[in-house]
Amino acid sequence: MSPTRQPKISIKTTERCLQPLVLSQETIAVEIKELNLYYGDKQALNCINMSIPRHRVTAFIGPSGCGKSTLLRCFNRMNDLVDLCRVRGIISLEGKDIYDRKVDVAELRRRVGMVFQKPNPFPKSVYENVAYGLRIQGIRKKHVIDEAVEWALRSAALWDEVKDRLQESALGLSGGQQQRLVIARSIAVKPAVLLLDEPASALDPISTLKIEQLIHELKDRFTIVIVTHNMQQAARVSDYTAFMYMGDLIEFGSTDDLFTNPHKKQTEDYITGRYG
Amino acid sequence: MKKDTSKISLPEINFDTPALVRHRKSRAVGERLTAWFVGFGGISVILAIMLIFIYLLYEVVPLFRGAAIVSWIQDEQVRDSYILQDSVHPSIHLSLEEQNTVALKIDRQGNAIFFNAVTGQIRNRVLLNSPNNSSITAFALDTDASHLFALGLDNSQVLIAKHQYDVSYPDDARLITPKIIYPYGEARVDFGADFGALQRLAISDQDNTLILVASNTEQKLGMLVLSKEKNFITEEVQLSPQFYSLPELSTQPEYLFIAPDQHWLLALDRAGNLSLIDIRKPNHTRLASVHKASRGHVTDAALLLGGASLMIADNQGYISQWMLVRDQNNDWDLNLVRDFIASTDSPVTNLAMEHRRKGFAAVDVDGVVSIYNSTASNQVLSQPLHPGPIHTLVFSPRANALMVEDKQGALRLWQVDNQYPEVSWSALWKKIWYEGYATEDYIWQSSAATTDFEPKYSLMPLSFGTLKAAFYAMLMAMPLAICSAIYTAYFMAPTLRRKVKPLIELMEAVPTVILGFLAGLWLAPLVETRLAGIFTILLVVPVGTLIFAYLWSQLPKTSRWQLPEGWDLVLLIPLIMALVAVSIPLSSLLEDTFFSGSLRQFITYDMGIDYDQRNALVVGLAMGFAVIPTIFSITEDAIFSVPKHLTQGSLALGATPWQTLVGVVLLTASPGIFSAVMIGMGRAVGETMIVLMATGNTPIMDVNIFEGMRTLAANIAVEMPESEVGSSHYRILFLAALVLFMFTFVVNTLAELVRQRLRVKYGSL
Repeated sequence: MSPTRQPKISIKTTERCLQPLVLSQETIAVEIKELNLYYGDKQALNCINMSIPRHRVTAFIGPSGCGKSTLLRCFNRMNDLVDLCRVRGIISLEGKDIYDRKVDVAELRRRVGMVFQKPNPFPKSVYENVAYGLRIQGIRKKHVIDEAVEWALRSAALWDEVKDRLQESALGLSGGQQQRLVIARSIAVKPAVLLLDEPASALDPISTLKIEQLIHELKDRFTIVIVTHNMQQAARVSDYTAFMYMGDLIEFGSTDDLFTNPHKKQTEDYITGRYG
Repeated sequence: MKKDTSKISLPEINFDTPALVRHRKSRAVGERLTAWFVGFGGISVILAIMLIFIYLLYEVVPLFRGAAIVSWIQDEQVRDSYILQDSVHPSIHLSLEEQNTVALKIDRQGNAIFFNAVTGQIRNRVLLNSPNNSSITAFALDTDASHLFALGLDNSQVLIAKHQYDVSYPDDARLITPKIIYPYGEARVDFGADFGALQRLAISDQDNTLILVASNTEQKLGMLVLSKEKNFITEEVQLSPQFYSLPELSTQPEYLFIAPDQHWLLALDRAGNLSLIDIRKPNHTRLASVHKASRGHVTDAALLLGGASLMIADNQGYISQWMLVRDQNNDWDLNLVRDFIASTDSPVTNLAMEHRRKGFAAVDVDGVVSIYNSTASNQVLSQPLHPGPIHTLVFSPRANALMVEDKQGALRLWQVDNQYPEVSWSALWKKIWYEGYATEDYIWQSSAATTDFEPKYSLMPLSFGTLKAAFYAMLMAMPLAICSAIYTAYFMAPTLRRKVKPLIELMEAVPTVILGFLAGLWLAPLVETRLAGIFTILLVVPVGTLIFAYLWSQLPKTSRWQLPEGWDLVLLIPLIMALVAVSIPLSSLLEDTFFSGSLRQFITYDMGIDYDQRNALVVGLAMGFAVIPTIFSITEDAIFSVPKHLTQGSLALGATPWQTLVGVVLLTASPGIFSAVMIGMGRAVGETMIVLMATGNTPIMDVNIFEGMRTLAANIAVEMPESEVGSSHYRILFLAALVLFMFTFVVNTLAELVRQRLRVKYGSL
């Protein structure tokens, strides 16, 4: 999307902007400044200000339709693919605005990996699924790819389960294995940020547990942003939690803080289950 | 917002009231009816296809049914052999009439006896050689069809006569009256007293000339050329004879034949030496060549229908077919075309030629009769017919009866059922050396102006033409249809796609007869006159488009953004028009510079490539146009239905749209694209009207893009209306239909199997 094609839409209110939480003890990976997003004439995100800490797990929670997935998709500009979607504001990844027109979107998406709600392995072998990201980057050396595939599958705690069936179709794996394969595929290209859009909502409890353990292991190496419906999951896996409601970022803070001592009434209502 | 449900209570509903129970029952009945109806529909479709298949088979199967010789049954009575009353001498000629009711036996005494072929009851007896002052030493038959024969006498004279059958219907019953007539008068023609007794004789009667060739006891050959002069008032034909002596042979000729064009004389001796004598100039006859034409002693020889082939039987059990073939220097010579080996090793004693087909029967010393077809080079039948040697064997004109005369003079009529001898695997699919051709070849020629021609039923040129037409159509349609489908499904703006897709699919609604009409009458002449232009367009448009696309991508982004994403296509329309406009003057420039003014002339005269106006290029363009919407539509659907989460997954990994297309989208859509190509191929193979009108329908086998072809479908359309129902030709057309059916069936089945495999491998979730 280009600035020239954006319609003139007045920002409704600036007073709704929540001032960013200062995370003094953390390095900032992604910084969001006054982000507004419109689907056609409808505003879906209202002046979001926040910082995502590096090598931490940040969870977005909120009721359906609150804009948490939309916000997540801004980080790797997947919203570009949505017709009539327009974004105003700044998202900087390691100090550079990703909505700058000089940005190479494909390279941005390599650095900001994403895992979707539904497992989406390609109709290729397990090996080729993981190698795909490397091949599109132009890596040809077989031993490099072999190593990267093994590393990614081990990191995704999948290696032991698939090492004997690397050349079989990925579509033969179970749902939980597929999701971990997709995570392996995403981390194989060494992204800085990993976006997880409700990664466990289509899985059974045991697979969910494995994904959560995986998230825990991966956070040392990647900045992870997870969108989830499941507040327990957010409480279990994340270090920081943002609560969103109706396109607004209501509250953002450390997970312990937010769940035990919410500052806003809406947050408290939500986490205590009064609406949702 | 959630509704406050506390104030509304669930109403009391009884689900088991009679009305609701009835409703459930009728719903179940409706469900069952629907299932039954859908099942019926599905099974009907399969049945309909099966019926087509079975009907085609039903029409084709008789072609491959074997022949049979059975006893003649009349009035529910098996008719056995009989001996003619008062006829003690063996025949020198036997003949059956069209209806197999009357037969003729001519013996050495000059008795021509007409008798009932079934019972042997004598109908008519004519003494040919009267006054009986000389004996008959030679016999010659012109052709089976003409019924004209000549008797050579020991006083060097020749009697020419003809047997004839008048049909009348007194009391509504058919009455056949046989008689002997003398078309050239009862007077005999003479070879001259010093020529002596005639040993062997040959006769050839044509429109202007009647030729007689005879050998005498001193191995000399003489030729009488009788020019015909027709009296305008009485319509009587007068013959003016002229005698010529022919080159001497080293041995006594046993068989003499005059080729029907009266250019050649074939003389064969008992040892198998076949001499070819050029008689085109009666004053300068010469011995052209001598061949060793048999493996052992010649036992019988006869000209096949049409007189182009000579069949020679020997005592080693072989029957050799010799044909006059023209070589590169335009010289004619006899060539051995093929050998027929009788099933037994015993000597062949007699040959009998079919009157209306290139077939013949041979009988060996044990009385085993074998029926062959020369074109199909197959033995149709081999069956013992008589316990012992046979004196004479003759076919009836319709080849549905055989008359056998044994050494004791007993005659017997046999019924022959041999309707489709011309069909064999080799006749349909292999190279055949046809009469009048220099070498073996694949030829389709089902009819000719004469009745004695050799039908050529090779399905190879037709199958080849079918594949050629389909190939050039696919060459044109596949890249265009698949690329446009990729663009439409994957890159084009949705608003534009909604307009473009139905528009291309609407192309399919154009009746193919209109496409064929335009291709044959408008496009073909246009392509011929503007050949260079067509090729220049084919070259300039893709290259120009690519250059333009590159330049476009190099433009600054700000100016590119004036055009919304996915609307780039709109720019192409004026671009292509401009490129076409540039191509036309460019083509004349190129023609003048490189092709001495005319590419069309250059191709024909400088490169020596044949050019038909209605050629594969025209068919490729026209049928390509017809196939594009089919391939486009299915490919587009396949690509468009690749799940969005796969595309997004690839894009989220940092792939560009192009990488995503190649690496994920095309892979996932491959089963659909494959079936699109196969369905398009099936369409191109079965298409009739376009190829019928735009190919010229020449059944030739040449990959040359500038030559036409004839496809199986077009062949059926062209020839079915004029083929005789139930004939070999008719059934072979059904066979062609079956081949076409099997072809599309096999291709589609294979395609479906491959598609299933692809779907398992690359199918989306």
